[in-house]
Amino acid sequence: MEPVTGILNTTLAVVFTYVAYKTGSYIYKYTPYSYPNARIRAMEAKLLSEQRFNELAESRSLQNFVVNLEDTEYRDYFGDVSSYTLEEVEKALERALAGTYTLMMKILPKRSREFFRLLLGEWDVRNIASVVKAKLTDEPAEDYVVEIGTMLPKVKAMAEAKSLEEILVVLEGTPYEEPFQKLLLGELDAMKFETELYRMHYSKLLEYALSRKGDERIILGEFVRLKIDKLNILTVLRAKRAGLSAEEIRPMLIPGGTVNLEPLLHVEDLGMALAELDSTKYGAVIRDVRERVEGDLSVLERAIESYISERMSELDRFYPLSVATPLSYILKKEAEIRRLRAIAKLIDDGVKPERIKELLGEVA
Amino acid sequence: MDPIVYVALGAALASGIAGAASAFGVGVAGAAAAGVVAEDEKNFKNALILEGLPMTQSIYGLITLFLILLSAGIIGGGFKFAEPTTQNIVKSAILFGAGLTVGLTGLSAIPQGIIASAGIGAVAKNPKTFTQGIIFAAMAETMAIFGLVGALIMIATGVGL
Repeated sequence: MEPVTGILNTTLAVVFTYVAYKTGSYIYKYTPYSYPNARIRAMEAKLLSEQRFNELAESRSLQNFVVNLEDTEYRDYFGDVSSYTLEEVEKALERALAGTYTLMMKILPKRSREFFRLLLGEWDVRNIASVVKAKLTDEPAEDYVVEIGTMLPKVKAMAEAKSLEEILVVLEGTPYEEPFQKLLLGELDAMKFETELYRMHYSKLLEYALSRKGDERIILGEFVRLKIDKLNILTVLRAKRAGLSAEEIRPMLIPGGTVNLEPLLHVEDLGMALAELDSTKYGAVIRDVRERVEGDLSVLERAIESYISERMSELDRFYPLSVATPLSYILKKEAEIRRLRAIAKLIDDGVKPERIKELLGEVA
Repeated sequence: MDPIVYVALGAALASGIAGAASAFGVGVAGAAAAGVVAEDEKNFKNALILEGLPMTQSIYGLITLFLILLSAGIIGGGFKFAEPTTQNIVKSAILFGAGLTVGLTGLSAIPQGIIASAGIGAVAKNPKTFTQGIIFAAMAETMAIFGLVGALIMIATGVGL
């Protein structure tokens, strides 16, 4: 009986250990996303519908526009608006986007919270690049500051700075100090400075994404690579339109994308570059907007953004309890706020509601 | 091992594992329920129904516990297998196996909670998916039912009630 009992006990111990390990890893993987993802889905139900956008387009004044948003979650952000100017409305919408990021960082599990903090850093890069470019061209830098990011007080201080040396003091101790020093020394021009900031930002994002495991690595990795593709494709196309050579374009590209852009660098013009992209996974995206892209590259920018959003929605359906859900939501929210800003701007410009509705489709 | 150890372990594993799994399952679904209710109180009813689904495994565990204790005579009389004879050891080992079956299949409460959690999110986004959400979550219940049926057969044919 002794050996039989021994085998039985060992078998039970092995089975229990395996079951406990698998159960534990299952719980660790999915449980942390239970609360945030369910909440985010409830938030998705509150995203504005097409009908609602059409109603907003009928607002005719910014005051009516704000009143029409009273029964939405934007109400909280319009509470501080003292006057119904475009600037105030835009700032309120920027606060709403910042609020969404803050909420994500609050409710998401620790392991993906850091990614959203890094993602928020893209707004720092945009703000710093805009402020520096404005300072270099003697434009009012405050107008270019978007009220969102992880280092907004520093960005505001940069905008108020009286000289470039003062900006260097503000940037001291941040990762952006070194490229700014190079800009001051003339080793970089404004465009290369901006590229360097984006390169730093995306290398941080990619490094973080690739440090994750399993589903998270797949989702975050794809998200970052798609974003890099978007930036690189637009950079190459803009450069081709400006007639730049392959040698001039190459340093502007951010490493880590999924598309081999080398053949694009050697074509002669924008049309040929678009034709070259036809064989890539962005071919279908470009084909739909091809005619309009040659006149306006922002059409392609929106088309690729829409593709990234759709891809994240697909991943969200495939991995319902994962970081794909908040990523998909934040992209939808950004698109919604972009459309609201466009409506506000068009209303402020006195554009007729019918025309606003037409233009809204293009912004989407 | 003495027969009493087999019987006690069988009863404890049936209700213990299934109960703990149910607790995890309800916990996962409950967190999702709290999330959707935080956004809109109208989600409460649908979320509550889906949240309750992983509780059934703990009921199966409890039923099995009672059946094991009943058939071993611990409930309603003296312990029938006190003597460590081969027949008593086999019978108590069968009761142990029955308990283990229900306990392990009761682990289905954890994935059921995860499915219910995803379902709660889907229903919050589109209330028309409520029925489908229940069906998807109920699928995980099948394994627990199979386990309970298997345990009942083991107890009834191997030991007798």
